[in-house]
Amino acid sequence: MPEYNKVTPELWKQIEAIVGTENVSSSPEDLEKHAVDESPLEPHPPQLVVRPGSTEEVSRVMRLANENMVPVTPQGSRTGLSGASHPIHGGIALSLEKMNRILEIDEDNLMATVEPGALISEIHEATEALGLYYPPDPGQDSGSIGGNISTNAGGMRAMKYGVTRDFVNGLEVVLADGEVIEVGGKNVKDSTGYSLIDLIIGSEGTLGVVTRATLRLIPKPKLTSLIYTPFTSTIDAAKAVKEIIHHKILPFGLEYMQQHTVQTMEKYLEKKLPDNSHPAYLIVAVEADTPEELERQLETAGEICLEMGAVDAYIADTASRQQLIWEARKGVFDAYIAMYTLDEADVCIPRNRIPEYVERAEAIGEKHGVLLVPVGHAGDGNLHYNILKLEETPMEEWPELMEAALSDLIDMSHEMGGTASGEHGLGYTKRRYLEREVGPRQVDLMKAIKTAFDPNGIINPSKVWP
Amino acid sequence: MSEGLNIVVPIKQVPETTEVQFDEETGRLIREGVAAIINPFDEYAIEEALSIKEKLGGVVKAITMGPPWAADALRDAIAMGADEGWLATDRAFAGADTWATSLTLARCIERMGGYDLVICGLKTTDGDTGQTGPEMAEHLDIPHVCYVNEITEIGDGRVVLKRNMDEGIETLEASLPLLITVGKDINQPRLATLRGRLKAKKAEIKEITNNDLKMNPKEIGLDGSFTRVVKLFEPETHEAGEVVEGTPDELAEAILAKLQECKVI
Repeated sequence: MPEYNKVTPELWKQIEAIVGTENVSSSPEDLEKHAVDESPLEPHPPQLVVRPGSTEEVSRVMRLANENMVPVTPQGSRTGLSGASHPIHGGIALSLEKMNRILEIDEDNLMATVEPGALISEIHEATEALGLYYPPDPGQDSGSIGGNISTNAGGMRAMKYGVTRDFVNGLEVVLADGEVIEVGGKNVKDSTGYSLIDLIIGSEGTLGVVTRATLRLIPKPKLTSLIYTPFTSTIDAAKAVKEIIHHKILPFGLEYMQQHTVQTMEKYLEKKLPDNSHPAYLIVAVEADTPEELERQLETAGEICLEMGAVDAYIADTASRQQLIWEARKGVFDAYIAMYTLDEADVCIPRNRIPEYVERAEAIGEKHGVLLVPVGHAGDGNLHYNILKLEETPMEEWPELMEAALSDLIDMSHEMGGTASGEHGLGYTKRRYLEREVGPRQVDLMKAIKTAFDPNGIINPSKVWP
Repeated sequence: MSEGLNIVVPIKQVPETTEVQFDEETGRLIREGVAAIINPFDEYAIEEALSIKEKLGGVVKAITMGPPWAADALRDAIAMGADEGWLATDRAFAGADTWATSLTLARCIERMGGYDLVICGLKTTDGDTGQTGPEMAEHLDIPHVCYVNEITEIGDGRVVLKRNMDEGIETLEASLPLLITVGKDINQPRLATLRGRLKAKKAEIKEITNNDLKMNPKEIGLDGSFTRVVKLFEPETHEAGEVVEGTPDELAEAILAKLQECKVI
């Protein structure tokens, strides 16, 4: 670990000269706010929060930090779940919240150019107003595109469209020494040299600071519909996922929930869902350009569910009804974090192993005395296991129990050919699982890449691996 | 009532939109390119009918008047759980205002094999008059209660209802047969299900034309309508009034201050 320096009064003044006094803060409120993300990790306050307004400003701040060996933690909206934006070593929290413009929507090339602080909800709104579609839809609408790029976020539509990586076509990146590089652009194809863009996407802010992104867009399908399908067994619902995929229909969303989640969401939202009396539920969401095609997809998926033991399938065909179901699905983490002490596992496994995983995971919960509630992008094999503290468990015993359950869930994922993190990233809280998954040789390659990008190790240190 | 209730739910197919577009020349709603759905208020009526049926048994019959494709709305009602769908369709019914519509629907309801309770949505999202329900009750010569929020008791030929009025909550008792109109406070409509939709696809929609009703052509459609749409315009929006609370003295002070502020006194 390199020896880091604090920000000296002199350096502080230099930074203020670059970004303006009003964009440098060490107020207790700011330090507290920028010390955390949404993971259960204890806060790590930075020494100061810096809010640059341009690539030029980011570049000059990075050059100074690099020369002075001051650690820099890039931050978006801090909605991450693995502690990746915690300023572990203090230093500068580089908040990109002010660089939040949607610079261009290029309808001739089907590309949008945005700044890193732009929110996912804003990008969706702006593109959809033009009949265009940026498919990645991670649950957290208030997440920023910069954060999504850093974790290679997935979300609700990955089954059909893929993840953030599949829609990022170009990046402007400020390197540790302040140099600005452009990787990719508006070209649909690019076989020139190594794909640095793919290294930077998903690097959790450890290789550079993304200051601009060019996103690939597609025409937006005109119609959407979904079914909300209760099952009498948690395993049957998981088996239905496998069967839907096997039948070669491609919903854009295929989500798995259990009764605990449905009832929690009804309480949290103070709204009623179509049914709350069954052990497990699937949400199957389809989209098409014609009513006939929409109907065909919905009925095929629905009939498979019925054959696989679904009680029935509630059809949400109007926008407001679909919104209620998505509100319930997307709000799951917010609801659990408001009502429980928890962490969330984010394993991703080959999809044909889902029923087996769900079945065996029940024993893991019992073994460690924690409540395990899976909520999942089942269509991707990406299962979020909410690890909830039981009321009777003393707080001092909780961290150990939680970690033991998480470790078992990840081991079981590895055993089935799965991964430790499907979309949240390893950040700080799950970094110990990297080597277990990829082995020492790959960790060494990653470390060599990090050193090539950031020889002094000043950008987001202590993340991804221990 | 051991054999259950015979419940009729008149519904209407409306465009799925919050902003209704109309052609200023012809005064007609523009329906092209907009999906057609059951009038949202009618879904509360269907839900209430279904939940009464679940308690007391009986049969729920949906009826609508409209072009042949309005049968889709009836199939949607069946997919939610209605037992029968009845479609009043005839070119002679076209262009009807609320009077002619309610008269035609009343004559249909009389032919549908008896009724104990007629439940209507408060109003439609396209016409927004809220008249067709009460008018139907008059044509059927039965009592009606509008704005029902809750049915607290039902059975043995009587029903106890609650409705929120400006002055407070009214509790009313009425005898059956009865027509009520319901708003969105009364329940949360269930969603149609796939099993329901499969059943609805196969269901027979019973058509009623004027050959069946044999109504005087002057009583139906455009000719039977007392009103004409002469002009359409966007309603003006008004800002909400200010509500002041307090003791009588405080209120007097507040009003005085307001009047002075407005330079009225």
